[in-house]
Formats: sequence, C-alpha cells, structure tokens
Amino acid sequence: MKLNRILIAATLVAATALLWTSCKKEEQNVAPPDPENEVITTVRIVATNNADITDTWTATWKDLTPSDGNPDTTNATLKLKKDAVYTVSVLFLDETKTPAGDITAEVSERSNYHLICYEPSAGLNLTVVRTDKDNNSPALELGLKSKFTTGAVGTGRLNVSLHHQPSGKNGTDCSIGSTDADVNFAVQIE
Amino acid sequence: MFVCRRTFLIKCIKQRTVERIVVALCIPVLCMLMPLQVAGQNCNYKISGTVTDAQRHPVAGAVIRIETDSTKGDVTDTGGVFTIRDVCNGHNVLTCHADGFTTAVAHIDVSNDSRIEFALSADKNQLHEVVVNGVRMQDLHTVAHTELKGLQLLQSRGKSLGEALKQLPGLNAIQNGPTIAKPVIHGLHSNRVLILNNGIRQEGQQWGSEHAPEIDPFVANRVSVVKGAASVRYGADAIGGVVLLDPDPLPAKRGIGGDVYVIGQTNGQMGTTSATLQGKPGKQPDGLAWRVQGTLKRAGNFKTPDYYLKNTGLEEEDGSATVGYKKKGLEVSAYYSVFHTKNGIFEGSHAGNIADLRAALSRDKPATQSYFSYDIARSYQEIYHDLAKLSASYRFANEGKLEFTGARQKDLRDEYDISLPYTLSEELKRKPQVSFQLITHSGELVYTQPTRNRFSGNFGLAGNTQGNVFKGIRYLIPNFRTYTGGAFGIERYSLAKVTFELGARYDYRWQRVYQRDPVTLRTYNTTLTFSNATATGGIIYRPVEKLTLTGNVGTAWRAPSVNELYIHGVHFSDATYQDGDSSLKSERAINSGITAAWKGKRLRGEIDVYYNHIGNYIYETPQAQPVTLLSGTFPAFKFTQDNVGIRGLDASVQYDLLKHVTLQSRVTLVRGYNYTAKDWLIYMPADRYENGVTFNLHELGFMREPYVSVENVTVLTQTRVPPGLDFAPPPKGYSLLNASTGFSAQAGRHKLQFDITAANTTNTRYRDYLDKFRYYANNIGINFIVKCKYSF
Repeated sequence: MKLNRILIAATLVAATALLWTSCKKEEQNVAPPDPENEVITTVRIVATNNADITDTWTATWKDLTPSDGNPDTTNATLKLKKDAVYTVSVLFLDETKTPAGDITAEVSERSNYHLICYEPSAGLNLTVVRTDKDNNSPALELGLKSKFTTGAVGTGRLNVSLHHQPSGKNGTDCSIGSTDADVNFAVQIE
Repeated sequence: MFVCRRTFLIKCIKQRTVERIVVALCIPVLCMLMPLQVAGQNCNYKISGTVTDAQRHPVAGAVIRIETDSTKGDVTDTGGVFTIRDVCNGHNVLTCHADGFTTAVAHIDVSNDSRIEFALSADKNQLHEVVVNGVRMQDLHTVAHTELKGLQLLQSRGKSLGEALKQLPGLNAIQNGPTIAKPVIHGLHSNRVLILNNGIRQEGQQWGSEHAPEIDPFVANRVSVVKGAASVRYGADAIGGVVLLDPDPLPAKRGIGGDVYVIGQTNGQMGTTSATLQGKPGKQPDGLAWRVQGTLKRAGNFKTPDYYLKNTGLEEEDGSATVGYKKKGLEVSAYYSVFHTKNGIFEGSHAGNIADLRAALSRDKPATQSYFSYDIARSYQEIYHDLAKLSASYRFANEGKLEFTGARQKDLRDEYDISLPYTLSEELKRKPQVSFQLITHSGELVYTQPTRNRFSGNFGLAGNTQGNVFKGIRYLIPNFRTYTGGAFGIERYSLAKVTFELGARYDYRWQRVYQRDPVTLRTYNTTLTFSNATATGGIIYRPVEKLTLTGNVGTAWRAPSVNELYIHGVHFSDATYQDGDSSLKSERAINSGITAAWKGKRLRGEIDVYYNHIGNYIYETPQAQPVTLLSGTFPAFKFTQDNVGIRGLDASVQYDLLKHVTLQSRVTLVRGYNYTAKDWLIYMPADRYENGVTFNLHELGFMREPYVSVENVTVLTQTRVPPGLDFAPPPKGYSLLNASTGFSAQAGRHKLQFDITAANTTNTRYRDYLDKFRYYANNIGINFIVKCKYSF
C-alpha cells in the first residue's frame, strides 16, 4: 500500500508538472514581419526612346499592402510614341522599406530560374522582344531588358509577369512554373 | 457484490455512495424512456477473443469454459480464436486451459458482447502466473463502428493512416498525391474528424486538407473507427466520427518478445521497416513492463502509368517507448513518441495564381518530365510531432475504475515554398515560408462504474489548453491560446436482447487570438468563447442471436477553426484568395444512424444507414469579384455558414460460397446537400464499390492459412457537384483490379507472415475526385507491395 501511495503521488506530481510546465505564453509575442524579407510591392517599367535618349517614360504599378487587393494604379499608364523603338527595363521593388528593396537584383542573380513575359492586348500595335539572357547553357531569354517597337496610334494593355521556373525553363514558355508577379499596365501609343 | 477488506473499507463506502448517486440520478431518466421492465437474466451476449502464448503466438485447442455455467464453452481454432455465445449478463468467470500451459482465470462483467485476450504462461510451476487482458470496447456502444483487423490490418501496414482506412466501408481519403492522405468518415474530414492516438486527441494543424495526421500507424495494433457524431465521449470536432489507434496492452509474462515488419513496394521504390521490442523483467504478473518501437520509411518519386511525379518522395522516422507498472488494482504508465516526416510536394502542382492553375489544368500531363529519384527538393513539408503521456488507473474492490490521463504534445509544421523568399539574407533563405507550432496540454479523468443491476457507464472530466505560434515569412493564421473544459456521463442499461444507452456532455472553450496590425505593427487580441451541450441516445437490439440492430441519435459540435475565423490572403495550395469571418458560430451536428449486423455461419454482413444534419456548416463560398494582387488574379472565397445534410449508406458483406471460397463486397455511398444554398456539397466522395473473392486453405505444406484474393474497386463519376465552384469538372469514374496472396508459417516461437499485393494491376490511368492533385496529374500506376512480418 505504501508503494501504491508513493506511485500515485509521483504520478500526480509528474502529471501536474507535465500539464503546467512550458506554458511560456509564446503566442503573445506575435512575430513582426522579417525586415530581411522582401515582398514585391512595385513593378516599374522604364522605357527610353532609342531615337532620343532624353525621351523616357516611367510607369509604376504598386500595392503597398500586397495581401489586400487594393493596388495603386494611378501611375500605371505607359505613354509611348508611334512608330518608335524603345529600350525597356523592368524593376521589381519592395517599397514597404526605405530605401526600397531591390528585388530586380535577386531576379538577376537567380536568372536561370526566372522569366519575364510581356503580353500586349489584342489590337495594340506593340511588339516586345526580350534582349537579355540568363546563365544557362545555352543561354535562355530572361526579360529584365527588352525592346519595345510601336506601330500606329492606339490604346490597350500590356501584361507584365514574372515567372519562377525552377525546372523546365525554355526561355519562351510563360505557362511553366509559378507566377510571382502578374500586372496590367494601360498603354497609350500617341 | 461488495467485498470489503478492512484496508479498503473506507474506499468502499465512498464507492458505494458514488454508486448510489449515479444510480439515483440515472434510474429516473432511463425509466422515462423505458416503461417496460423486463425481468430475468439476459443470456444473449457473446464473448470472443484469442488465446496466445507468451510470445503472442496463437494457441490452438485451448478450452475456454464459463465456470459459472459449465454448459458453455469453446475450443480455439488454429488462429487461437474462440467464441462463446449465449453468455448471460453479470459477473462471469472464465477459465482457459491448454496442455502445457497454466490455466488462466478471467473475471468479466458482461453487459455487452465482450472480447478477452488470454496470454498463457508456459511454465506449469508458476501457478499464479495468469494474465488476462480485457480489450476495451468502444465507449459509445450504440454508434456505428468498424475496425481494421486480421489480414486487412496486415495489408494496411506501410500505408499512411488515410490510405489504410480507405478500405473500410464508410471511409474514404482526401489526398494530395500518393503520400498525403487524410481519413474521410461519412464524407467529412480534417477538423470534422477526431483522431485519438493512444487515447490522446491528436492536435496538429488539422484544418488543412494537405495536413496529414502526424501519426505512425505502426504504434497501434488496433485501428478502429467510430462512424457518427461522438462528441459526448470525445468532445468537440467528432462530427463525422473518430479514428482510434490503440497499442496492445504491455506484456504480462516474463521475457522478451516483439515483431519486425519489412515492407517494400515498386512504385516510388518505397521501403518501410518497423520493429517492436517488449518485455517484462519480473516473474509476477504485477510489476514493470516495457516496450520500444521504431519505424523508418523512405520513398522516391512515384509513377503514373505514363510519367513520374516529380518531387513526390518522402522520409519518415518515428519512435516510441512505453513503460508501465502494475500492482493489484493500480496501473501506471508513461509513453513517449516522436514523429518526423519530410514530404515532397509534386512539382507540377504549383500555381502562383489562377492563370498558372488554368495552364496546369489545360495540360494532359505535367509540363516538366521527370525520372526516379529519392531527392526531395522545394517545395516540401517537414513535420515533427512529439507526444508525452502519463496515465494512472485504479480498480476499486467493487470493480469500478478511475483513470487519469495527462498528455503534452508539440506539433511543428514547416512548409517550404517552391521559390526561395526574395531576400539578401542567407539565413532567411533557409527558413520555411510557413511555420506553425502548436503545443497542447490535456488531461482527462474518467470513472468507469462497475456493472451493477444491469447498469454500466462512464463519467468524466476533460480539459486542454493550446498555444499556437505562427512564425512564417508570409502571414497565414494568427497566434492563439485556448482553454477547453468539459464534463460527460454515459449510462447503459442492459436487458434481455436490448441495451439502452444515454449520454450527455457540456463543453466550454475560451480562445484568445493575438494579431499584429499590418500598418501600426501594434499587437492586439480578440477573445471568443464557445459553449455547447451535446447528447446521445441509442439502442442495441438482438432479436435473434445472429442479428444485431443498433440505432443511435447523437450530437456533436465544433468551434470554427482559426483559419475559418482569421485567414486572410492567398492560399497557395489551390491559388485562391481566402477571407475568414471572425463572427462564425459553432457548427452543430445531429447524426442519426441505424446499423444491422448479421453474423451467420456462411453469411456475414453489416449495413449502416445514416443522416447527419449539420447546422452552421462552415465552408468557402465564391465571391463575385476576383481579387487582383501584384502576383495576379485570384478567385476570392469567403468562409460562410449554412445548414447542410449528409446522408449515406455503408455496407459490407462476406459470403462463404464454398468451403474455401469467400466472396466479399463493400459499398460506400455518400450524398451531401446544402439546404440553404439549395445545391450539392462540394468534395463529397463519389460512390465506391469493392467486390472480391478470396480462396483460402487451412494449411498447405509449411504454409498456414494461405490465401489468394482478387478484388475490383470501382469508383463512379461524381455527378452531384455544385456548378461553378470547382476549377475542373470531377474526373471520370474508374475501375481498378487488385490482387494479393500470402500465408503465415510458424516454427516454435517464431512466426512469419507474408503478403504480396499487386495494386492497379492493369496500370489504369485514372484521377480521383478527392485527390487535389487530380488537377495536375494522374494517380499512380501499377504497384507491387511485399510485406513480411516476423514475430518472436
């Protein structure tokens, strides 16, 4: 009986210890967003007219609260001259930080797994050709740099998308992998 | 009936008082329900079980007799199995005698069909070394239940829990490819199905359909399922049912024994090995006993009939240890288990937005070709689950039993997306994008009253507290703390041919959620409380010996889970934008079911018919406007509540056509309907029919119980779906042909069981409605599985 009592007591003590230890209320410390982590908030297109390098146009699509679905598209219009050729760069930024985080550099660093795609809407007289390559062998298209060629006057849309393609990248197929950015710019060819 | 020795006198008096209170409380309730009082003994119960030696090998030819009624008894067959029918209720004394063994004596209070396992001692000189392990019945006798046993249990070895249970009538599995499967009971899954692992509620992030149970099924030698609302005994979440995984009792005989499983399969080149070692140092039936167990599992890329599924490998390492001490009525035990798995997520299943998903849907096979490899690349899930359990029980002199169980479990789930996070920090690149840590402490105190005056029952208190910490890079669900407490009582009254069961429970939950404002970065909290009363009532009626009719009406509840309340953002696994609703109320289910079971000599079968009405059923409803994010356009869904009903039929039949030929059939039919939206419920299992034939012999050369079995599994096309809710129409129905053969062999204390199964023998291309990967790829093709179990 003595042993029984000791065992019962020991079990109860152990059980109580088990139940109430390590309740450190960890959950009350909500982890803040990691300052090192970069979220794409902004897609920016910088177009420079090959005929006149002082003629540049910048269009910006941004959403500083990227999970809310309330983008700021007031500057997301791209104005281009008719029958012209532009050298275009695309930038991916994290503007929740000051200075803004430059995600373009990381895309460039991991260029072998990324592809940027440009899709003008039907009827818009714009053709886009990617002009840069990644480090694959043979090198495949990347799309951070491109050449825009405009035709007659018109308006439409240009879809710019960033694809992460850890495998199967062929430099042209935009349907492979998963999409990290996918935004629409309004385009006016004047 | 009360034998009070002096030392137990005080306890006995207390016990009697408790007894009187219980009886005084319950009799009026039961009398209202039963105006008819039937006098006399009920002699319609069955005691069945097995007789094994100390090494757990079956003992054939053992004679089991009821000492209190010498006309009744049975002799075990080669499997060590016996069945005694027409047993009267009340106290029965059984003896088990076999040549070369000490006679075992078992005392059992019969109020239902019971099971007993005799483990015989070989040494005739140790006269009192007699051990009997009574196997616990389900605590709710009148709710439909089913069990994986015998060959089915052996054939389920090496499979995940969800896959293993799929072969039971009324069960399906919701899957994310070949390695992630969750059990579906009567059309419900995830946080509407409760899993009890070794008596402890399994707590992980069970709300996610791609979050499989963090359990090694090898810990359990008894896998059973309660089909129907069972909140009264098990608390919240038991809306669809409960899966119970129970290990064998610890060895009661001195010595060391164990078993080793070695399982290999061709598809995925999967290998599984699991070993159990157990022993008892002392000669007395009381004293210490122990068990250690471990499992290793490894698989590479699985293969459909035409192509490999890239990055579908898995690694798993699990272990557990138990130590128990027994002295007279007291039993104490401690259990600890660890579970770790790393699961590759099929590369073709990644969709950054709806355009990616549409592109994937339009392909007839994945965009990138693959080959066989054991490597697991991004994306993958890595899960750790630790469980510590302490239990103590005391059996009073009057056979009443008080049991305390306390447990702590820690679930850590890390999910790595296919892309590395955009960062310059190397440390951050190694971190998971999503990380959940859930720590649960739980305790339960249950009193099982002894069977007296035809009454039996359980009463208990249960409580738990949980702390959830989310540490992901991208926000998914908030941190929270919950406290839950409940009290229940279940009482049974057994008459000749009839048993009545009645139970009630009350639960209270307090939950405080901690969030951070994304703009001000201030932490704030929200507190929600939920309280629910549940009840159950049922009848078992045995008009004739072979027929058992069971009916039950029970209720269950579930508090909205944290994702349903607070999720806000893109759900990557299906490229949708989800919005939680913090004003959601508890789900409440009223489940009624009728079961008819026939156990004839040649025909055995069971039919369950049920209707589960769920009020405030929580589901996602599509919003008119899609959400435009930087990463593209996403269909928007918001969690909402409606009244729904799920009805269905499960049936299983076995018929011995000839002496060595048995035909077997199983049917699972489920219909789910939303009464508020006046439409079908999404993701209800399609009709499933399984028909097979087994040839078995008693003995063939050195082989014992050799068998050959062929089975067809036919799943129809799901046509009852709500329009416009799914990304793709349900896949076509399919028909698979599976075959298996095996035998067991015995040499002294060594026993070998061998089974070889060929699954999907015709290498049929098919997709299953409940497999989320059906959007992207076919199911796996032909698969040969070899299983060996060696026991000693």
